[in-house]
Amino acid sequence: MSEKEQEILQKLREELGDRIIQVQTTRNEKLLIQVKIGAHKDAIRKLLNEDRNAGVSAITGVDLGDVISIMYHIRVHGDVITIKVEVPKENAKTTTICDIIPGADFHEREVSDLFGVTFEGHPNPKRLILPDDWPQNIFPLRKDVETANLIRTLDSRKSLYNEKNVAEGENVKIVFGPQHPALIEPEMFSLEVDGEIVKRVEPRIGYVHRGIEKATEQRTYLQNIYLVERICGICNACHAACFCQTVEEIMGLNIPARAKYLRTIILELNRIHSHMLLLGHAGTEIGYETFFHYMWRDREPIMDVVEMLTGNRVLASFITIGGVRRDIDEKMIPKIKEKLAILKNKLPFYKNLFENDPTIKMRTKNVGILSRKDALKLCVVGPVARGSGVKMDVRKDEPYAAYGEIPFNMVTYDDGDSWARLMVRLDEISEGLDIIEYALENLPSGPYRVRAPRVVPAGEAIDRVEAPRGELFYYIKSNNTAYPERVKVRTPTFSNIRSFVNIAEGSNIADIPASLVSLDPCFSCTDR
Amino acid sequence: MLKEVLSHIFREPATRKYPEVRPEIPEGFRGRQVFDVSLCISCGLCARDCPAKAIEMVDVEGKKRPLFHLDRCIFCYQCAESCPRNAIKSSKIFELASTDKSELVVEPKSGRGN
Repeated sequence: MSEKEQEILQKLREELGDRIIQVQTTRNEKLLIQVKIGAHKDAIRKLLNEDRNAGVSAITGVDLGDVISIMYHIRVHGDVITIKVEVPKENAKTTTICDIIPGADFHEREVSDLFGVTFEGHPNPKRLILPDDWPQNIFPLRKDVETANLIRTLDSRKSLYNEKNVAEGENVKIVFGPQHPALIEPEMFSLEVDGEIVKRVEPRIGYVHRGIEKATEQRTYLQNIYLVERICGICNACHAACFCQTVEEIMGLNIPARAKYLRTIILELNRIHSHMLLLGHAGTEIGYETFFHYMWRDREPIMDVVEMLTGNRVLASFITIGGVRRDIDEKMIPKIKEKLAILKNKLPFYKNLFENDPTIKMRTKNVGILSRKDALKLCVVGPVARGSGVKMDVRKDEPYAAYGEIPFNMVTYDDGDSWARLMVRLDEISEGLDIIEYALENLPSGPYRVRAPRVVPAGEAIDRVEAPRGELFYYIKSNNTAYPERVKVRTPTFSNIRSFVNIAEGSNIADIPASLVSLDPCFSCTDR
Repeated sequence: MLKEVLSHIFREPATRKYPEVRPEIPEGFRGRQVFDVSLCISCGLCARDCPAKAIEMVDVEGKKRPLFHLDRCIFCYQCAESCPRNAIKSSKIFELASTDKSELVVEPKSGRGN
């Protein structure tokens, strides 16, 4: 526990007194404070007052038999402090924290859907992940629910969703989605419009929820690496890295220095190709298809590097518990550098394009503004936060892999509009190229993996990785077997998508696709 | 921008003329696995670790051998990594598209690489 955490804990003790039940730390020394029901709100308020940049990172539910434990993971000074309450399963009820931090909205609704916990006072307690006609008494992530039963329930439903398309007052309701609005993924936004202006937005996700968190409980840790990797094709290495890091923390396993550098390389390759994919998509959404083709053409060398390094263009399957799965060949390094140089030479052209091209400027400048204040209130992460001037990057706040040893700059823009969010990504591509180059030149020698046992000792750990879309959060609870007890995954888009309501309300309907794309939403991540 | 557009007139296309021109596949590509039955010790580790449950242990001449369901395989190569005798090796075979699922079942016949 750091001095800062000691200090915060002391303040919490003064504030809450005997309402604190227990103070623990996870395997990787993260504070976990259990408080009485009802006291969590005061504790969270105290934590939010500690740091201007504080916010909700995730809310995890765990079924412990008779009780359901609800963990509020609060990001304070770049670290995560967890406030825990245990509510009885029979009468699972607690008070909402949405009134003190609106960004908790989706997190609470998710726990409510999957564990059947009622958050009293929640401003919009509707279903978020489960279908609208899902039975009231089946909560998928509770331990007493069989997977076979879930499949049966899912198959026996008659309709998918019951969204009523009724105009209220003068406003017209436009249903945007779920058949691939903007990006090729299913999500739905009900927009209430007055003429061309959007007045109210109601997002709905969960169309392709696959229950991966439940599925992880039936697979070994080794098999789960490949499962979590498939939560998202684009940032697959980030999921694998975060999962493996968390398991390594529980085991107390130190990975070799060479593995750390190799992980950094694959993570940055992931970031670069993800950002290029998004920038290309942004091109199509603003009616600039040439830009889309250029971006995707120049993304190819990066995909080639991934294929060379890992044996596959997209799904790397490169990271494993204890290190990485294959070593880099010395002969490969000049080839990789050559490929990276192709992209590096193109970047000034794109930067110039973004700064001066009238099409891009007209469609993205001063469009879809998310102020710094709103960004903090809604707990957004990654490039969305950095585009609104919030200095937040897990690579700097809590360095993992080799990020602590590699020099790089955190890119932030203060404008808060679509343009700023896209610029953050463009600049991160060049930072990423520099990181890979540095890692290749300073690659430590030695082994690239250590053997890890199949059985993981009982414990719990929290870990985070900066995925291309922002902070990726994993919580794992183990029970001294080869199978995890609970794996919680909070993907960056889950934190970001709530902010679309604020961005879209008051804007022109023609700007909706472009603003949505500027958030870089990934719904396959969100509907894990 | 205009310069970039014009330069494309004189450039070769970015696309490849597959299948006339064969793509160059990098070393270490994760293609269809090649199973060498003479090295197999019937331990079943490949089937136990397979995340996609694509490997089934079947009886061949009284011994348990892995049968690969390539339609379920995710080509992660965990089987190749788990195998204590290196009986499962990599290959550059990538053209696996088929209209018939039964064609994608690789039976552990005797002999190399079946």
